Amino acid sequence: MSLKLQLSRAWGPTVEAPVLVMKEGFSPRYDLDRWSGVISRIGHTAEGQSIVGKILIIPTVKGGVAAGWAFYDLLQKGIAPLGLIFGKLNPVMVQGAILANIPIADGLDKESMLLLRNGANIKFDPSTKSITTVS
Amino acid sequence: MHLTDVEESMLNGKKGEAVREALAFQLEVGKFFGAERFVPITNAHLMGDIEVMGNAGLGLLRRLSDHHGQCAVPTSTNARCMHFGEVEELRQDIVEIEKEKEIVRHIKDMGAVATDTCINYQTVYQPKLGEHVAWGDTGTVIYANSVLGARTNYEGGMSSFAASLTARTPAYGFHLDENRRGSLQVNVKAQLRDTADWGALGKIIGHPNQDYFSVPVFLGIDEMPLSDHLKHLGASLASYGSMAMYHMVGVTPEAMTSAQAFSGRHPDHIIEVTDADIASVYSGYNYLEAQANIVVFSGPQLSIFEMQNLAKLFEGRHVANGMHVFVTTNHAVWSDAKRLGYVETLEKSGVKILQGVCFYILQRLTQIREENGWTNLISNSAKLVNTITAHRFNTILRKTDQCVEIACSGKLI
Repeated sequence: MSLKLQLSRAWGPTVEAPVLVMKEGFSPRYDLDRWSGVISRIGHTAEGQSIVGKILIIPTVKGGVAAGWAFYDLLQKGIAPLGLIFGKLNPVMVQGAILANIPIADGLDKESMLLLRNGANIKFDPSTKSITTVS
Repeated sequence: MHLTDVEESMLNGKKGEAVREALAFQLEVGKFFGAERFVPITNAHLMGDIEVMGNAGLGLLRRLSDHHGQCAVPTSTNARCMHFGEVEELRQDIVEIEKEKEIVRHIKDMGAVATDTCINYQTVYQPKLGEHVAWGDTGTVIYANSVLGARTNYEGGMSSFAASLTARTPAYGFHLDENRRGSLQVNVKAQLRDTADWGALGKIIGHPNQDYFSVPVFLGIDEMPLSDHLKHLGASLASYGSMAMYHMVGVTPEAMTSAQAFSGRHPDHIIEVTDADIASVYSGYNYLEAQANIVVFSGPQLSIFEMQNLAKLFEGRHVANGMHVFVTTNHAVWSDAKRLGYVETLEKSGVKILQGVCFYILQRLTQIREENGWTNLISNSAKLVNTITAHRFNTILRKTDQCVEIACSGKLI
């Protein structure tokens, strides 16, 4: 049975991909090896996992202005995520996602995040501000 | 969003392709946040270096340059990722160095002043109470909003360039009164003396309360903090908490009283911070066994007073074997520090001073760490010990005088 979850604000094209669910905030500068697309911060809950081709589920943000350029750079390198879904976000994530044409949203609550399992396929549709699990 | 006639003409390409592209981008960002209009700005601070822009960002900058994009307001630039002088430990890519130089050329052609600094608020421009600006570095943003009472959001990447080209930015977030009200009450019962103590306070508040729209209100500060203290507090709050504004009752301009700071909003939480809490931040870091370690004073770049203090602490001492010490500052502070003898004192002690860069954004930093065998990175900057972790340093926060003692004795205290 598919599950539909609602978001608050969303932008960008519809995508379908597996999710990488993070348990803490994320910054491409603090946490990511931007040459491989693998989370490199020691002790990050997603350390060693790749963001490439995934829809990232991220509860909060940390820092930093790097994301303003970083997603665009990752896209050109072929190691960008396919979508970004936050609990809470900051403007830099939005600025960076729009520049790279990566769909982005916020407002996914903590309870909903618990329902998503790493690797599960979802359809992220910014036009309806929703995500749906896909079997 | 409501657009004025001028903005309509920008969007129609009548002010050139670079301005059209910039405004179209800003419009999308504004729509996401529900902005109803644009707000004129008086100053922009560009954030862009090859380490984070990559070839994609450089390509975009070339396009803006080809379209003769010009800064429409006075514009400065953030710290760079390349130290252009010779430094033995830093072997940066020659090809990337050339790209970084090209970025600087494009930025200068656009009419920006290449200040290469993340402390523009101390050395370049101090916007006034209520002045709208568009700054592209989190530490500069939180200082502008909090200490100066100016108004800006984080303007990352293309966003800072777009604001400079159009002389405006979407009116959302900290441009609006309702988002500047305090949301979190912090009763400070700790004695904060060193800049690292202020950074530790930022970590205590920022880390568990990560929210761009959270505005901490600090009460109980009974001694007027220095600009450098507030700089490290803000940089830390921004780094750990992604926060863009705080109030400090009796200190910052929109918080002459607690009532003014909250402006009718009830705080979500009340947090008390004691000396024990600050001490537990320091004790939370653990050293790893290592042959070589590094002490860094950076993030944000050092002010002239921080340079003076470091020169005093290092005078007559020398960096120990197995230790490497770096300081970063901007060109303006470096020039004054040179004239005043601080540069000579520090270099005589074995300290390497990098101009116009910030340490954690150095290009090729992971490889530089590996080549030098650096394991522990000790700093008095709470921000730096957080931001540099993707490069897999084991980071340690210590007070300024302890950092100097570690650097000169080699003992990891």
